[in-house]
Amino acid sequence: MLIKLKGGRIIDPANGRDEVSDLWIEADRIVAPPSGDTQANETYDVTGMIVMAGAIDIHSHIAGANVNAARLLLPEEHRGTTAAASPTPLANCKWSTFETGCLYAAMGFTTVVEPAVAPHHAIHAHLELADIPIIDKAALAVLGNDDYLLRIIRAKESLSCVSDYVAWTLQATKALGVKVINAGAATAFKFNVRSFSFDDIVPLYGVSSRQIVKTLQQAVSELGVPHPLHVHCNNLGIAGNVDTALTTIAAAGDLPLHLAHLQFYGYGTEGDRGFSSAGARLAEAVNAAKSVTVDVGQVMFGQTVTISSDVLRQFMARHQARPKKWVICDGDSNGFGIVPYKYRMNDFHNAVQFAVGLELFLLINDPWRVYFTTDHPNGAPFTSYPDIFALLMDRELRAEWISKLPADAVAVTTLGGIKRQYTLNEIAIMTRAAPARLLGLNDRGHLREGSRADVAVYRPQRDIAQMFRSAALVFKDGDLVVREGQVAHYRFGRCLTVAPGFDAAINRRMRDYYDNRYAISTDVMMVSEHTMTRPNSFEAVGCVR
Amino acid sequence: MNRAWIGGRSVSLEDAVSQAALVLGRSRQPVVAGLGTDVEGARAAVALAARLSGAVDHMHSTALLRDIDCARQTGVMITTPVEARVRADLLLLVGSDLEKTWPELFATLCLTTATPQDEAIARRLIWICPGRLAHRADFGGKLETLGQEVGQALPLIACLRARVNGRNSNPTGIAAKKIDQLVTLLRSAKFGVAVWTAQQLDDLTIEMLNGLVRDLNAETRFTSLPLAAQDNAAGVLAACGWMTGFPMRTGFGRGFAEHDPWRFDAKRLVESGEADCALWISAYRSVAPDWQVDLPIIALTGESAIFRRPPDVQIEVGRPGVDHASIGYLAKTGTLAAIGAGIDKRTNSVADIIGQIVQFLPDSNAWPC
Repeated sequence: MLIKLKGGRIIDPANGRDEVSDLWIEADRIVAPPSGDTQANETYDVTGMIVMAGAIDIHSHIAGANVNAARLLLPEEHRGTTAAASPTPLANCKWSTFETGCLYAAMGFTTVVEPAVAPHHAIHAHLELADIPIIDKAALAVLGNDDYLLRIIRAKESLSCVSDYVAWTLQATKALGVKVINAGAATAFKFNVRSFSFDDIVPLYGVSSRQIVKTLQQAVSELGVPHPLHVHCNNLGIAGNVDTALTTIAAAGDLPLHLAHLQFYGYGTEGDRGFSSAGARLAEAVNAAKSVTVDVGQVMFGQTVTISSDVLRQFMARHQARPKKWVICDGDSNGFGIVPYKYRMNDFHNAVQFAVGLELFLLINDPWRVYFTTDHPNGAPFTSYPDIFALLMDRELRAEWISKLPADAVAVTTLGGIKRQYTLNEIAIMTRAAPARLLGLNDRGHLREGSRADVAVYRPQRDIAQMFRSAALVFKDGDLVVREGQVAHYRFGRCLTVAPGFDAAINRRMRDYYDNRYAISTDVMMVSEHTMTRPNSFEAVGCVR
Repeated sequence: MNRAWIGGRSVSLEDAVSQAALVLGRSRQPVVAGLGTDVEGARAAVALAARLSGAVDHMHSTALLRDIDCARQTGVMITTPVEARVRADLLLLVGSDLEKTWPELFATLCLTTATPQDEAIARRLIWICPGRLAHRADFGGKLETLGQEVGQALPLIACLRARVNGRNSNPTGIAAKKIDQLVTLLRSAKFGVAVWTAQQLDDLTIEMLNGLVRDLNAETRFTSLPLAAQDNAAGVLAACGWMTGFPMRTGFGRGFAEHDPWRFDAKRLVESGEADCALWISAYRSVAPDWQVDLPIIALTGESAIFRRPPDVQIEVGRPGVDHASIGYLAKTGTLAAIGAGIDKRTNSVADIIGQIVQFLPDSNAWPC
């Protein structure tokens, strides 16, 4: 079937396009305009509308044992209220996988990365991901607090030995990349260590956080995994932690490194309260460090729940839980912590956090290196994205928000003096072109002929947030799935994986290791097509080498 | 090939499936109960319940919801069996039914052998209310016991907790010296793990244990390992959680998911007459419900399940992980795991049969599972 989107403004920064033109779709691909008199089977008049590739979210906690524990902890936060729309059963179950897919699709998102899959829980995470309809998904496997890695670093094994293990883990967990979360700290916490920085040493293993991060960074690079090591730094959320972030940026060296939810590390110790924004300093450092990419983790005001595999941080934050209940799991490697939290506009600290995020967005010059996230749901639920787009694109709206924040909070930030407004082109870079490039997804994030027909069409209006909240049309793989922000029907996307090669000897090593240490077979944890409930659940993405 | 019966009469699978669809389709308030099935079966069952505007419950929900209720009131600190095995230097066991719930407890947690850590851990064991047990010959370390019958557990744990927090509250009649000795042990643990089964402890005892564990973390590290009930209760919980946002005992009668542990208790729904039909699932052990009234029942079980009277429709289903590959909760790892991967399917699974039943219902294509 041939589909024509007629007369829209095509914003496709990957190909340097911002022009009024037609877009043609055939089957699941963008195609060249047909020659001669060939007519479209379906034509959508999108005159005056904005046509972009489907958006890509590189860091959103949407599935897995930790997310599910948060669901069960907070039944009162997600009561259902309205009866189901018949074409999308269970989508009205709040915070269900089905709702998640529908809400993302309604905003024009077509690919989302779950960034914290614990290797031993990978089957669970993938079963949840598979039940998220419409969008494509991907997982990042969490390493860096696991006994095996710490052991081989301690034993000074070769880089190829580490790389084999990383590649084996990627295969076992069907992941697209590797994430390290407060490297070493979750393990140190099991030894009752209560603060942990970049050069601190994990008891028993005698390795530092720096060693773990650098080793994994090299291994990921060596393997040719497109997505650089995805780092959740030490000392999240603590006043003065900008130094940790700056140290980590400096440690990146020439190899690529991605720092997640940087906002949570943008805190200085200035002002009467000893808590201030260091957003400007941090942005400057990112601007200078060309091998570093970051995502923001913007805070928005309201009730949310923090879900993190940074067990130490979550434990230390337990007294801030609102409502007053929390879960801490000392897992096999990282584990997780669930701490519900309410960000309040009239709270000094929360207002500073809000400002730091926007400072990072606005002061990091290169939209190809700063990615759009709220660290869902840690800074805010992903449903708040449209409001953040509006804040970035409209400085008057921003001024209105700033005027409502506590004045002493605004005073320890630079936000009030920033005039920059994002253009639609920059929004498209940050949410489409750049994430596709960062993840190595060549078939999406742009509207080149031959690319995947993931397309979002927005209707420009005064209310920018409303424009992004409710896409006029969304196509996934060429299938019209959303009209005027409403999901028309279910389809199920795939999970994107990467499969670098490795020395097969690691299979035996891992079998022996699991047998000796845990008395379990690695077979019970390996993710494969056979462990999935839907056929063709996975699609492999090529490695760089 | 699955054997099937209508009212106790042997019939073809197709006849049984279409009759099941007819009975379920006619029902105004069905309950999908038992739910002793793997993750795929649970997904199919929850989706079917939503579609029929019915409710879902698991045969072990009462125990399961004790742990969940305590967690969602005040929170919980937990670990995995894998981590407890390699790290725990003190185990605080509570109750006499632990090995009934999980026969591999001692073996998995290495209580009978050395731990596989680099530095061998000197294990301590405190067992509160172990029943008649005085010692365990197979346990290599030092065993302390406190109390005997499980009914004594709450005041004993309360007493320990008070002492941990520097208060004297001892209504138990146990010598203060003994309490102090145990509290010293608890506080000197480097990585202690409390183990219990909600099938034996009540809510208050579990809440007190959670509190004790939390309080110990002011100074040292302590966590817990509540044992999961059988029949894949934890696996079904996971699927129900991500599909509906809620645990079992969730209903869809008003067109959206509502969770209410009292209202959607299958036994109550059936015995009060609110439910007019039940889909009973017990694939692991072929148990029948203990309901005291008769109502139309569609049963997906092994052949050996004994019902008060023959179910309206009974279809034999395979045992997950034995007759077909499955995903379910594995007690040894504390995760969803591939169980029986690679075995040839001998009998259709619960998900297969529900999938066939759904084909006889209208609009089957719209459904997500």
